[in-house]
Amino acid sequence: MIWQIDIMILTLIVICGLFAISVKDLLGAAVVFGAYSFLMCLLWTEMGAVDVAFTEAAVGAGVSTVLFFAAVHRSSRQVKARVSGAMLYKGLGLLASGLMGGVLFYASTDFPDWADPASPASSHLSPHFITQTIAETSVPNIVTSVLADYRGFDTMFETAVVLTAGLAVLIILRLGGCRTAGPIREKNAAIQAAYKDSIIRFVTRMVVPFMQLFALYVVAHGHHSPGGGFQGGVILGASFILLAISYDLKMALNRINEKAALLLANTGVLIYGGIGFLCLLLGANFLDYSILHRILPATDEIAARSHAMLGVEIGVALTVMVIVMIIYNNIVSNGSYEKGL
Amino acid sequence: MELLLAKYNYWIYALIMMIGLYGMLAKNNLIKKIIGMGIFQTGIIVFYVSTGAKRGGTIPIIEHGHGEEVHEVIKALDYVNPLPHVLMLTAIVVSVGTLGVALAIALRIYTEYNTLHEDEILERVND
Amino acid sequence: MINTLTIALMIAGLFFFLATTVGVLRFPDFYTRMHAAGKGDTLSSLLILVGLALYNLHLLSAGNILVTIKILFILMFIFLASPTATHAIIDAGYESGIKPWANENNREGQDDLAD
Repeated sequence: MIWQIDIMILTLIVICGLFAISVKDLLGAAVVFGAYSFLMCLLWTEMGAVDVAFTEAAVGAGVSTVLFFAAVHRSSRQVKARVSGAMLYKGLGLLASGLMGGVLFYASTDFPDWADPASPASSHLSPHFITQTIAETSVPNIVTSVLADYRGFDTMFETAVVLTAGLAVLIILRLGGCRTAGPIREKNAAIQAAYKDSIIRFVTRMVVPFMQLFALYVVAHGHHSPGGGFQGGVILGASFILLAISYDLKMALNRINEKAALLLANTGVLIYGGIGFLCLLLGANFLDYSILHRILPATDEIAARSHAMLGVEIGVALTVMVIVMIIYNNIVSNGSYEKGL
Repeated sequence: MELLLAKYNYWIYALIMMIGLYGMLAKNNLIKKIIGMGIFQTGIIVFYVSTGAKRGGTIPIIEHGHGEEVHEVIKALDYVNPLPHVLMLTAIVVSVGTLGVALAIALRIYTEYNTLHEDEILERVND
Repeated sequence: MINTLTIALMIAGLFFFLATTVGVLRFPDFYTRMHAAGKGDTLSSLLILVGLALYNLHLLSAGNILVTIKILFILMFIFLASPTATHAIIDAGYESGIKPWANENNREGQDDLAD
């Protein structure tokens, strides 16, 4: 927490945000938004939120940018100003954001000082998490233990939200059966040709296995280092997206087709809910993992919580991986699965 | 100076949210609006993570937690508050879901009306 | 000894980063700018990462050696991925019809080419 670096990064973030809003080319705006996400990632590392930074690097800077590219590729990249009433909209927008900003600035006088150790947010519940995580769950990474154990109920439904988002994308783009892919503009078609390149394919073939191995490491080692189900799942999904970009969509779909993908996505949520339900069957509360020591061999109550967290993380990783793939595949081909980026 | 150091994170998050809200309201292009939404979301995340920061705190992973017994007593003041991190971690992952849905809706609109611009869409809806 | 080496490597890395930035800003067209970005970026990140890996060895222990090995892995992947990404971008630019910079007397409109 060095405030000089903090101010520097925050200034760059504001500049990048302004540019992402005002650039006249959608592809350029997507690139600037990617840079914005990387700066966010730096800011969070600097504030000590390493898990959030890891997630932002994988999700915000990686997958979001690719999704923007896919959508721009499928539609058009030009930005036109309003024909009439542009000033009215600008004025109204400035007025509304100015009002909101004024209220927020006014409210900021009531907030506790930044990085105050005695602030209300840090003084009620979190000391318990910090001091008891080793004794109660034997997991050194507090974020993982809070995510998968203390607030496991919350995380379960976050996973369900991710699943729902994937299904919603499927419904929106596929309603009324498969359609043919829309016409691609000349310029975009030329960009597409560039990816039939042997150097890129060779490097992709070399890197993808390591990416997937690293993703599994992130999932399994989330107890001791930054990482966990969400990050590992996104990296796994990104490895398939890399295959789909450097080869074509068919290649990625041959690895995991849509039926298998949907099955895996549901299995992930089912694993999470199933572990919770197992606790219920054994006579404890929903998602109270400590009771699982009765069926897990050679564990006590504390180790059972640690192992159950690993199971839960695997479920999360499955769902997130497959949903990221489904969203990308459908957006890049406009729901037709015909041609990729 | 004292006030600046104590509050600048809150001011910047308000600024980021203002940029995002302006993008969502005033921009004509749907994808620009979605970028505005992303900026608004990160503004909220900056606020949450800022509330979790602690002077003199390190990353929320217990040191020497690998072994069987931990020798020193764990003090809450030594580690930053992990709770906002957990909330925001899931929020970021959900934000990629909402981003996907928003882009899918924008694409669907593009296939129906062949434009991504708000005024042209309204024109073609009214025809 | 390790400290001196680390400082030297880091300063060299920062110097090449500066050179990259100047190159990206000052070079006339898309291809030369990508040339600066691709080469300088890779070399400077490699130098800085080697410096960090060495610095991490000032206290020899199993944990520190593990971290050094991890940094070396990152180094390997940057060495693979960064030139490939530059190649992909330049290829895409060529395919979409950006003309290389030719005439040094005619400096007008060069910014349009780079876009």
